[in-house]
Amino acid sequence: MSVKLDVLTQFEQVAKEQKRTLAPLSDDLVLLDSGLDSLCLAIIVARLEDALGFDPFAAEDADFPVTLGDFVRLYEDAAHAAP
Amino acid sequence: MRNVVVTGGSRGLGLGIVRRLVDAGYRAIAVARKETPALTAAIEHAERERPGSLQFVPFDLAEIDDLGRLVKRLRNDFGPIYGLVNNAAVGFDGALAIMRTAQIEQLVRLNTLSPLVLTKYVVRAMMADGGGRIVNVASIIGFTGYSGLSVYGATKASMLGFTRSLAREVGRLGVNVNAVAPGFVDTEMTRGLDDAHRQQIVRRSALRRLPDVDDVAHAVEFLLGDKARSITGTVLTVDAGNSA
Repeated sequence: MSVKLDVLTQFEQVAKEQKRTLAPLSDDLVLLDSGLDSLCLAIIVARLEDALGFDPFAAEDADFPVTLGDFVRLYEDAAHAAP
Repeated sequence: MRNVVVTGGSRGLGLGIVRRLVDAGYRAIAVARKETPALTAAIEHAERERPGSLQFVPFDLAEIDDLGRLVKRLRNDFGPIYGLVNNAAVGFDGALAIMRTAQIEQLVRLNTLSPLVLTKYVVRAMMADGGGRIVNVASIIGFTGYSGLSVYGATKASMLGFTRSLAREVGRLGVNVNAVAPGFVDTEMTRGLDDAHRQQIVRRSALRRLPDVDDVAHAVEFLLGDKARSITGTVLTVDAGNSA
């Protein structure tokens, strides 16, 4: 499964669990407008760390991305950098 | 076996909590710098009764940058973390006016910063695992005050504020967050009290005695248990009525 698919699956799963209406997922979707709040995003990051074995936000200087496309890219870049 | 991590679980109140949790059927994981003879004895006892139910993980909780790795290791070695008891703390006293800044910093680092950051990582794991329990060991000094314990009192009050807000933040994930506020309990931390002070505390307590370690450990066990499933964001005071 691609990293992008992993990320999108988690967005859909967490939205369902937290009973949130998820906006249509596209690269330019602003995360704040996705229908998820910061706690939902925290759950997604925690679950992705379990699934993928890394957390791109572990570095203290990492800014939280603005769009879904930025979010996915952060994970794809970290996947390439992972040993 | 449900895993419960107890910081400062090698002596005093932490060891009492660890022992109680093992008796109650949990796997208690004591995190502390050094294994004490009392903890070694408790582990030997637990091994005879229920092998694997008491584990010791050596770790210096002042090493804030390594707390994320500690939580990862705990999950790898033992599986999902059901409960976290933030118990480790230091309690040296002294008039604020002559306290060294390094001492103030050490108190805040161990009593406030370390449990906050540890909880951050444990809560993340609980988010992924679908729930859990956090019990913060505060102190009645956090709301009554005591001369010579201003910094200690500040750190304990910080745990109460932390408890209430975090309970609101993670409640919908099935994570309960509560605090226990012991009064003066007979442990190494309070051994510095002279007899006159001890008698004064006893006199001012409704039950005319000090609570013991087991009293506090029972309160922690209750908050971790299924019977406390609807309790979150609260403080359970165990002080024999000292602050009543």
